[in-house]
Amino acid sequence: MTMALPKGKLGQESLQLLKRAGLPVEGVATEARQLVFTFAEEQGRYLICRPTDVPTYVEHGAADLGIVGKDTLVEAGAEVFELVDLGFGLCRFVVAAPRKRWQQAGQSFAALMAGSRRVATKFPRVARGYFQQQGMSIEIIKLHGNIELAPQVGLADLIVDIVSTGRTLKENDLVEVAAIFQATARLIANRVSYRLDYQRLAAVAEALRRAVGPEEGKSC
Amino acid sequence: MTGPCQNFQLPAGVRDLLPGEAGARRQLEQKLMDFFQSWGYREVLTPTFEFIDTFKAGSRAEAEDSLYKFIDRYGRVLALRPEMTAPIARLAATRLGHEELPLRLCYSASVFRYEEPRANRLREFNQTGVELIGARGVAADAEIIALAVESLLEAGLKDFRLGLGQVAVTMGVLHDLELPEAKVARIKAALASKDLVALERLSEDYSLNERQRSSLQLLAGLHGGSEALDEARSYFGDTEAAAFLDELGAVWQALQAYGLEKWLFIDLSILRDFDYYTGIVFEGYVPGLGVPVCGGGRYDDLLAQFGRPCPATGFALGLERLLTALGEKFSCAGKQGYLIAGDELEILLNRARQLRRQGTRVILGQPGENQQQAEARAAAQGLTLLWLESGETICRTVC
Repeated sequence: MTMALPKGKLGQESLQLLKRAGLPVEGVATEARQLVFTFAEEQGRYLICRPTDVPTYVEHGAADLGIVGKDTLVEAGAEVFELVDLGFGLCRFVVAAPRKRWQQAGQSFAALMAGSRRVATKFPRVARGYFQQQGMSIEIIKLHGNIELAPQVGLADLIVDIVSTGRTLKENDLVEVAAIFQATARLIANRVSYRLDYQRLAAVAEALRRAVGPEEGKSC
Repeated sequence: MTGPCQNFQLPAGVRDLLPGEAGARRQLEQKLMDFFQSWGYREVLTPTFEFIDTFKAGSRAEAEDSLYKFIDRYGRVLALRPEMTAPIARLAATRLGHEELPLRLCYSASVFRYEEPRANRLREFNQTGVELIGARGVAADAEIIALAVESLLEAGLKDFRLGLGQVAVTMGVLHDLELPEAKVARIKAALASKDLVALERLSEDYSLNERQRSSLQLLAGLHGGSEALDEARSYFGDTEAAAFLDELGAVWQALQAYGLEKWLFIDLSILRDFDYYTGIVFEGYVPGLGVPVCGGGRYDDLLAQFGRPCPATGFALGLERLLTALGEKFSCAGKQGYLIAGDELEILLNRARQLRRQGTRVILGQPGENQQQAEARAAAQGLTLLWLESGETICRTVC
């Protein structure tokens, strides 16, 4: 069984959860040079990937299971099975606007949108989906980071981004004007692996589900 | 973006097949088609494009987005075929309408879908498959599933499994939820994509009762052999769903008696992509290949849309995926043969014809080449050199 784990904070929390679930994690580090960790006895293997690459590894079957944020998963649009809400890594997708524009629009979302043409985001699929659902046509500008900068220099009128504490928004004089959805980390599976190796993968999913506990799993 | 040809790149989702690859594909295709014929399936071929109405029958509204569409001179909308089942249903209801049922038909054709090219997914790909039209019941379902297993064996696959589901059970459970259509659609989408997180959340949002929740969980999680089927049957008691499960059980028994059990498992969450499936459905899986290698099932409502209501079942194999799964097992066979060279073209042509008529592969040498050069070329291509001079013949074996 091969599991793709994300680098970074999500990876660290994943390891803690795996440990709680009784899976082997000794010596595994998500920030080390080593990218593959093998446990011969348990016939398991972890791959350390960039978070945005986890759905790709799982979709192609290079990994049977993966841990990934729902935000990344939705944006990737990958065809994978989503098995367990792991509870951690909570963040929210929001539409945010510069405070000044929000006040000029009389704090009305409709009025704000009527005067907005462009939205900057790292998540074009999520942004497009949201505005389409709202029946609004808007130009999406794809950026790779520091989205807060775009409205300040007139590149975009609004942004769509993920926030966890809201501090970054505040520091850049942006206000949340609409919530899109909440995201937490998920256990995903390749759709062929899950069917061919059901007993093993379902057992891992069940162990993780139990390790999450009832209160954490209901984050959104 | 340098000039009109963009450096002769291909658009996303299509590809060239080089000599070895094209040969391997042809060989596999031929093997499968011969095998289908041995089961009494007759080959048909429908046009690459036709009026869009054929393809709209029975498929979801969203599926229309993935069609390659264009308009003829009279303003009618045409589309490239995205699959073969609907055109063959049209054929069975119209031009083959006078033929007695059941009809056993097979095909191998390129199909076209304007989709995001992702894992093992092309925009032009080949489907090789069969349709059994006008037959219902255990015998027909078992025949199609047995044929699917044996086709994969015939193709040379050793390690694969076929998962069987029954769409009617899911439909029955969804119907019993007594929810508005939009909500049922969301639950169905969560089941189909095996999004267990969404399924749980929707169960909560729609305040489903304990019984309804456990039914959905059973649909999403039931997996195994005949024991899994027994478990489901005892759970559903004497509901509508139980009757459909009995049908699946009977098919399982038939396949077991036929000795195919070890290739099969039951998984009620297999629902397939199309909305036109009405009964037992199945998918073939190969370890390491992230996507199913074949899929099919029963579609009893489709033929009625073409004016000849009758039950039907069938399946298609993805030739490209099958070739990926088989790996290097195929090679372009028939490397032996002659390189024929010399100084008089007339002699060469006549001798070449003679040899070809005997079934030997003969390649003509380059004019103006001397014997040494010809020998080197023959050696490089693994051929036997036949050097002909006016009047005399020197044959030398190089390899």
